[in-house]
Amino acid sequence: MRNLLLITLLTIAAAAQNPTPPATPAAQDQSTPATSAPPASAAADSSNAAAATSDSPISGSIELGYRFVQGPLGNADVYRSTVDLSQGPRLIGLDFTVQPFKPLFDRLEVHASSWGGDPYNTARLEAEKRGIYRLTVDYRNMAYFDFLPSFANPAASAGSLLTESSFDTRTRTSDVELEVVPGRWISPYVEWSRDSWFGDGITDFTETPNNYPVSNSISDSTDTFRGGVQMQLPRVHLVLEEGGTTFRDDQGVSDTTPTNGDYPGLYFGEQLNLSNLSELYRARGSSLFTRALLASNPLSWLSVSGQFYYANPSLTTNYSSLANGNLFLPATFAFYNSGSDIATSDAQMPHTSGSLTAEARPTRRLRIEEYWSTDRLHDATSSLLMEEYLTTGSQFLTTNPDADRLVLNDNEQQIEFFYDLLPNLTVHGGERYEWGDATVRSTPLSDFPLESTSLSRNTGLGGASFRWRQHLRASADFEAASGSKAYFRTSLHNYWKLHSRAQWDFLTGWRLAGDFFELNNHNPDPSLNLNFVSRAESASLSWLPNNGRNVSVLIEYTRSNVNSNILYLDPGTLGTALSAYLENGNTATALIDLAPKAMHGFAPRFSFGGSLFTSAGSRPTDYYQPTARLSVPLAKGVLWNSEWRWYSLAERLYAFEDFRSNQLMLSLRYTR
Amino acid sequence: MLLASVAAFSQTADIHASSDKCAACHDEISKSFEKNPHHVLDTDKHLGHATLACEACHGPGAKHADSLAASDIRNPGKMTPDEQNKLCLTCHRNERTALGPIADGHAKDGPGCVGCHSIHGTDHRPLVVTKAADVNQLCSGCHQSVWADFQRPYKHRLPEGAMSCVDCHNPHGSHMQEMMRASFANEPGCFRCHGEMRGPFTYEHAPVRLEGCAACHEPHGSANPRMLTRHEVRFVCLECHSNLPMPPASTAQKTLGGVPPAFHDLRSPRYQNCTVCHVKVHGSYVNGALLR
Repeated sequence: MRNLLLITLLTIAAAAQNPTPPATPAAQDQSTPATSAPPASAAADSSNAAAATSDSPISGSIELGYRFVQGPLGNADVYRSTVDLSQGPRLIGLDFTVQPFKPLFDRLEVHASSWGGDPYNTARLEAEKRGIYRLTVDYRNMAYFDFLPSFANPAASAGSLLTESSFDTRTRTSDVELEVVPGRWISPYVEWSRDSWFGDGITDFTETPNNYPVSNSISDSTDTFRGGVQMQLPRVHLVLEEGGTTFRDDQGVSDTTPTNGDYPGLYFGEQLNLSNLSELYRARGSSLFTRALLASNPLSWLSVSGQFYYANPSLTTNYSSLANGNLFLPATFAFYNSGSDIATSDAQMPHTSGSLTAEARPTRRLRIEEYWSTDRLHDATSSLLMEEYLTTGSQFLTTNPDADRLVLNDNEQQIEFFYDLLPNLTVHGGERYEWGDATVRSTPLSDFPLESTSLSRNTGLGGASFRWRQHLRASADFEAASGSKAYFRTSLHNYWKLHSRAQWDFLTGWRLAGDFFELNNHNPDPSLNLNFVSRAESASLSWLPNNGRNVSVLIEYTRSNVNSNILYLDPGTLGTALSAYLENGNTATALIDLAPKAMHGFAPRFSFGGSLFTSAGSRPTDYYQPTARLSVPLAKGVLWNSEWRWYSLAERLYAFEDFRSNQLMLSLRYTR
Repeated sequence: MLLASVAAFSQTADIHASSDKCAACHDEISKSFEKNPHHVLDTDKHLGHATLACEACHGPGAKHADSLAASDIRNPGKMTPDEQNKLCLTCHRNERTALGPIADGHAKDGPGCVGCHSIHGTDHRPLVVTKAADVNQLCSGCHQSVWADFQRPYKHRLPEGAMSCVDCHNPHGSHMQEMMRASFANEPGCFRCHGEMRGPFTYEHAPVRLEGCAACHEPHGSANPRMLTRHEVRFVCLECHSNLPMPPASTAQKTLGGVPPAFHDLRSPRYQNCTVCHVKVHGSYVNGALLR
């Protein structure tokens, strides 16, 4: 009976919402104006909307439905960390436009999606009165759940499935932007935005040599205010902007459940434990920032643009902690029963960036572009930490003032020549030089408080782009550098990078596209012997006869490969070891949309496809998301939608993370 | 001089057709164009193209109006991306979205303005789709291998339509690498949502500032938890933290990142998960070893 019900439901499998866009050719033809080739689904939506268009002041659509979820079978925490869709009624989508309401607006649009229990709720409002104002309001509320047993789990090898770094949180972002007299020669704008992250989780409290999983409460937010003016003069365009941010972080870590932590066995004959803990962070930050953009065409053959940015964020922190139990203090090489820390710190990081671009066209075929940029960041901090430790009959008190620095000075200069060799063939070549220096805190084993290094990289650039009428477009970009000085062991050293793309409309409605990327980085230093290769090859085929009105087929396949080998020092023995990472990935996506011509007023639409990802190598993974959907018009402007989806994750080395879930969404969409 | 001016004006008038004349044949485009933001060119004399909105982009149209030949009118859709950009940027040189640096692809030999912006077909102000799912579909048309990354289990929520490519990238160009959108003027766009990692921290983790989040994370998608570049956390860390201490004045080229203390016995699972103890790996307010 259950299978019968499932089969019945599957036969009416239909889509409630716009499908997850697979890696398909663009909705629009890239070589012609962007409206020339809507996909079948878009055509369906527009025809449906057109059918329902009326003189009503409000037009748009609303879609309500119910999602049935079978499972998840397997690991529910990993399912929540990756998919997180649950059963219940949903507002799948709401899109409406209000016709001009003269005193207030010429256009007002509202979009909303995935409300009523889904993990990702979005809402957007756009209003405009032409020549007077433009208002955009954007809101997103996203679940951010992460509980992956294979991550940060010291007891995984013992069979434990409790990661010690997890959270069940939400992130919310809100943006309100108002532009006044848009399109005029001078146009002011103001914007307010806020992002926040809050929720609970598990983190670790570390007191060498042990660490203890404890409850974590996360709460932080950033508010940003900015305003500016955009000026468009005959030969000079200018944007001036001033803004500020405020930031707060009120993380709290507390636990009253006694725990022995992760240290195996006794330590110097004693059992380490934490009986209760309270840690409070109170960080408050603020920043002022300035942005100035200038673009000018001083001569018909010369254009110049420049950008300047300055920000000066600062942050003050007050931190306190109280830990009780049987803990060890390496500084005194003794055990203690109660320890408390109080810390206060200040940090300031003036950050200046600028760039200058000049584009010259000395002849009709030749274009020369020169680009220069700099980025300077100086972080200076000071802190004071007071620690008090109590043992039976004694007290240990320390006061530790400290200071830290991070300095970065980065520069880049690039010149590139573009030459139209033929009317449809452009070649380009040039050179990029990056240089800079960085100073940071030294590592614990060093006798020196700071360490410095420098960046120096000369890169050769080249490439070509080719077009044949509107049918074929191809481009390739290549760059290579040798003997670079870089900040980190894994940075680019002797490398080359190639990226090429081609798009061929070989018959009406048919398009074949390909994409190739390879980055090859090598550092022969005997202490590294770095060999890194990242490669991705994609091919896609689309068939949209009659602009996809009745049939559209979009198929894509990507093969990717990452192969990295680098030597490192085993911190336990200081012997050399090899870090080898390999991933051979295969991704296929497809969306086949069928909309046979209406018979007796009945015009169903059926589509199916989805994505499949499978990889081999260091972490072999299979992740499948097939989907099928059916849309049936019930009456004018009313569409019955249903969609079946299947989610399946299989980790060959971490089988305890596997899950599977069957889902069916049934919905009604009303359009007017 | 007056006569010369009159002659020049009449010559200019001769080569233009006016939008009304265009509408006689292109009535469908003309009607929809009335809702288009560019229609302001027809009505606002200060912009210098009054009654000549069509010809502001298509060039003088009198000859085409007489001959009806497609070869007698400029079609920006058939121009090279560079020519398209030059035409559009005549007016749109300095949008707040900041076009300028050549270090990115779109300004170099990319699709050109009309590759993404639909000049005739919408009354949306930016003349381009704005809903997240539509934006993603538009971008993925060319960036296929990038979209394939989003089909992996650990990724930003783009396939769900909760985010779009332009939340993180500025397609018009940026002074940051990979056309990254900047937040708070000149900081990586990642901090726009991950504000708790912005700092400035009392104790910074240098790669966050020097090489950005992508030094350790695959922001588009990964088969590794937390979108890490390696399957186990320790390799992400130890590939950099493997230098023996060197004096600051050493002449040899060195890189940043010293080897951890010797009591880190990698045979123990505890030390195979660096972030078990180094919980503040993005930067700490109170501890130089990023332990709290």
